[in-house]
Amino acid sequence: MREMDPSSGEPSAISRRSFLKGATQVAAAGGIIQATAAGAPAEVVDPEVETLSGTSSLELLVNGKARSVEVQPRTTLLHALRTHMDPPLTGTKEVCGTGSCGACTVLIDGQPAYSCLSLAVTCAGRPVTTVEGFGSADAMSDVQQAFCDKDGMMCGFCTPGFVVATHAALDRSPKASLDELKYELSGNFCRCGTYPHVFDAAAAVQEDRARGEEGR
Amino acid sequence: MSSSSRGAQASEPSWGKRSDLDVLNRDIPRVDGPVKATGEAIYTHDVRLPGMLWARVLVHPVPRAEIESIDLEVASEMPGVVYVEALKEPGDAVRYLGDDAVLAVVAAETPDQAADALRAIKVKARRLAPVVTPAQALEDGAPVVSRRRDADSNVGRANERGDEAVADAALAGAVAVVERTFEIPIQHHVCLETHGHVVQPAPDDEQVTVYASTQSVGGTPRGLARTLGRDASKIRVLTPHMGGGFGSKFGPGLEGAMAARVADQTGRPVHLMLTRSDEFAIAGNRSGSRQTLKVGARSDGRLVGLKLDADKHGGVSGGSLPGPPYIYTVADDSAVASRIRSVFTATDGSRAMRAPGHPQASFAMEAAVDELAYLLGIDLVEMRIRNLDSEVHHRQLRRVAEEIGWGEHPHRDRPGRAENGRAVGIGFGVSVWGPGGRSSRCDVTIRPDGSVVSATATQDLGTGARTYVAAIVAEELGLAVNMIEARIGDSDLPPSVTSGGSVTTGSSAPAIKDAAHKAREGLEALLVDVLEAPVGSYVWRNGQVSVRGDSTRSLPWIAVCALLREPLLAQGEFRDFLHEGRIHGAQAAKVEVDTLTGRVKVLKMVACQDQGLPLNRLALRSQINGGMVQALSYGMLEQRVFDEQDGFLLSDNLDLYKIAGAQEMPEMVALIDDEDERPSVCGMAEAPVIPGHSAIAGAIHNACGARLTRMPFTADNVLETLYGKI
Repeated sequence: MREMDPSSGEPSAISRRSFLKGATQVAAAGGIIQATAAGAPAEVVDPEVETLSGTSSLELLVNGKARSVEVQPRTTLLHALRTHMDPPLTGTKEVCGTGSCGACTVLIDGQPAYSCLSLAVTCAGRPVTTVEGFGSADAMSDVQQAFCDKDGMMCGFCTPGFVVATHAALDRSPKASLDELKYELSGNFCRCGTYPHVFDAAAAVQEDRARGEEGR
Repeated sequence: MSSSSRGAQASEPSWGKRSDLDVLNRDIPRVDGPVKATGEAIYTHDVRLPGMLWARVLVHPVPRAEIESIDLEVASEMPGVVYVEALKEPGDAVRYLGDDAVLAVVAAETPDQAADALRAIKVKARRLAPVVTPAQALEDGAPVVSRRRDADSNVGRANERGDEAVADAALAGAVAVVERTFEIPIQHHVCLETHGHVVQPAPDDEQVTVYASTQSVGGTPRGLARTLGRDASKIRVLTPHMGGGFGSKFGPGLEGAMAARVADQTGRPVHLMLTRSDEFAIAGNRSGSRQTLKVGARSDGRLVGLKLDADKHGGVSGGSLPGPPYIYTVADDSAVASRIRSVFTATDGSRAMRAPGHPQASFAMEAAVDELAYLLGIDLVEMRIRNLDSEVHHRQLRRVAEEIGWGEHPHRDRPGRAENGRAVGIGFGVSVWGPGGRSSRCDVTIRPDGSVVSATATQDLGTGARTYVAAIVAEELGLAVNMIEARIGDSDLPPSVTSGGSVTTGSSAPAIKDAAHKAREGLEALLVDVLEAPVGSYVWRNGQVSVRGDSTRSLPWIAVCALLREPLLAQGEFRDFLHEGRIHGAQAAKVEVDTLTGRVKVLKMVACQDQGLPLNRLALRSQINGGMVQALSYGMLEQRVFDEQDGFLLSDNLDLYKIAGAQEMPEMVALIDDEDERPSVCGMAEAPVIPGHSAIAGAIHNACGARLTRMPFTADNVLETLYGKI
C-alpha cells in the first residue's frame, strides 16, 4: 500500500488510472465482498501500479499529534477519529452522516469542515483539530468556558460541533454581528434549542477578546 | 456507615425563603458543562469496550410486504462478520414501517464490516399497498393495518364526550361562530443521539452491563430481563450522558433487545445504535391529527359552545389529543361536545413527545380564539383573558404582550394588511402542565474527609438534572456546587422515576432535598456537644457552620466532617409538600410576512412561565428557549414526506426533514414568572413547547389575514391561504 506524502497533502505519484481503479473498487464494495466470499480475488488490472483500495496505513496529524490509522479509501475522517484510532477520539459526534447537521465539525488546515464528508486519506499529513484539541475539562478554551457559563448546551450532543464552529467563526470574523454569527453557525443543528445561549456564549467570547486586545 | 435517617428528625425539610438562598434560584452553570464542551463526556454512542462487536439492523424500505426469502449466506461469510440473524421467515408479513420492518440483525468486528454485511443480505419481498396516509387508510376496501386483533377497519373506536345537541343549541345562539378544519402533521423527535445500547454480557452470577441512551435507567433492566433470561437485578444500566430523548426513549425497544440478544449469543460486548435513517423509520414520532373545530362566542367574547371532531394520526398507535376546550373554558361546560378517534396507517407508531397531544390541541384552539376575537372586534389578549380561568395566565399574557410591544401594535382586534408586500403581526398562545411527583429516593453520603456524594438513579436528558442533584445538597450544607459529587445515570443507585411528562424534577428534587436535610441534621447532632446548641439552630453558609445568632461559635466544613468516625449516609425520599402540581405559561410571537413570496420570518418570541421555585434559572431559561425553538421548528419547517405510491419514507434524513437552525432563530426572551412564590419545585420540559407554533400562526393571521390551517407554514401554504389554489 502506498503512503501519502505528508508534505504535499496529496497522494504521491498516483496516476489517474490507478485512482479510477481504486474508486471503482470502492464504489462496488458489495460486489467485491461477494467475490471475496466466493474465494475469487478481485481482478488486478496492472500489478505495477499500487492503488488505494483495500486498507491503507496513514498518519493523521490530530490535535498536534501524529496518529497512525489503518483505513480504507472510503473511511471518513469522522470514522477514522471515532472508530479507527486507538484510543479513539469520540468527542466528534456522528448525527446525520450526510453533511447536514455539523455535529462532526473539525478544523482541517485550520478551516471548519464536516468530518463525515471528508475522506481520511485526503487528510493525511494535514493538521486536524477536533473539539479535544481546543481544551480539556480542566483547561478549557475561552469558547468552551463561555459555552459553560452561558449554558450554550443541553443534551450536549451537538456541542462539540458548535464549539469547533464557534472557534472557527470567531477566528475568521472576530467582530461578527449577531446576524453574521447566525450565518457562520448555520451549518450546525441543535435539537434541544440552545441557539440563543450559543449566541450569548459567542458574544461573551467576543467581548472578552476585545477587552484583552484593549488591555494589550 | 452511620445512618442519620434512623434518628428522630428535628424538623421537616423546606426550600427556605428565597431571599436566604445562596445557590438555588440563581444561574448555576451545569456541572457536566466542561466534559460536554470538551468532548470528554461519554455517551452510549461513544462507548468502546475490548472485543466489542458493531451491530446493525436491516429495515425493510416500505411499510407492507410479504417476505419471500431472506438470504444471509453471503453476508455471513463476509470478513469480520460474527453474527447474522433473520427476524422474518418466508411467508411472514411486514405490517408497518416500524419495528415490524426490521428484517435482520448483523454484528461484525468493525462498523464498516457490519454495514457491508447488511448490504449483502438478499431480500426478496412482494410489496403490498402501502397505506401510509390517513386518506389511504380510509379508502373503501383498504387493507386493515390496525394492530388490534379484532379490527375490521383502520378506524379506532371514537371517544365521544358531551351532548352534541346541547352544543349545537349553544352554537346556534352564539353571536359569532367559527368553524375550521386543521391538518397537523406528524413530527419526529430527532434526538441527535439515535436510539441505541452497548451491552456487555456477564456470567449468570454477575451483572450484565448495559449502556443505554434512555430516559429510564430504572426501567430498562426490566425491559431487557426476558431477552437476557435473567432477573432485572442482574442487569445494570448506565446512562452517563444521553443525546436527547424528548419522549421517544422510555424503553429498550427492538434495537435494545437485539443488542442484548447478540451479546448473549456471542458472549461479546455489542454496540448497536440506529442509523439516522433507521431512526426516522422506527424510533417513534409525535402523532398528527385532523381536527374540525367549531366554536361560538357571545358579543363580549365569552365562549359559549364548542364541537370538535378529530382524527388522530399515530401510525399503528392511537396517537394523542386532549379533549376540548383546550385550556380555555366555555361558559357552560355542558355545551362542549367532542368525538375523537384514531385512524391507523402502516407507519411507525407515535410515542410520547414533549407534551403529547397538547401542541396539536393548542393549534386549533388558539386559532378559534383569534378568529372569534376578530369577528367580535376584541383585542386578542383581552379575548384570552376573558376565557381563561387562571389569574396566572392573565398576568403572564399581559407580560408577554408588553415584552413583544403589543400596546404599540397597530392592529390588535382585527388582522392587518400588507403594505408593499410586507406585513408584521403578533400572536399569542397559552400552556398548562401538571406533572406531579412520584416516589423517588436519594442517598447523600458525607465522608470524614469532607467529600459529599449525592446519588439517585435519574438521568440527565439535557435538562440539567445532574446539576440540581448537586446544587440542592450544596444549598442545604452551605457548600459550593462543585464540592458535591452528583452520581446519576446508574440503575444500581437509589431508584428514581422515568423522565417523561416533566415528572423528574418534581419527583427527584424533593428526595434530594430530604436526604440533604437529614444529612445536615445528622451533622448538627454531632455539633450539639461541640458548639453547644441544639439540632436546628445552626446556619450553614460559605463552607462554615455557625450557631444562629452567634457567629463566634462556628466551625469550617472540614472540621465538622472530621467529627465523623465513619461516613454519614442520609437516605431521602419523595416528600409531597416539596413539589408543585400545576404550572402555566403564555407566549407571544412576532412575524414578518412577505405576501408576494409567502415567506414568513419569525422576528421575536417571548415566553413567560411559572414553576414554583426555580432551582437553576440558567437551565430553566434553556428549557424555555428550547420549547420555543422546537415549536418554531414544528410550525415553520418540519415535514415528514412519504411516497404515497410505493410507501418509501422520503424524508429519512436531515436534508429533507428540516429542523430549525441558527438562521431561523428570532430574538428570544424567556421570562421566569417570579410572581409565583410557591415554595415547591416542578419540571419544565413540556409546558414551553405547547403554544409557540400556535402563536406564530396567530401572528401570520394578525399580519395579513391569512389563517393557516395546515402546518408547516411554508411559503406555498401562505400563498394558497391568501390567494386560493394557484
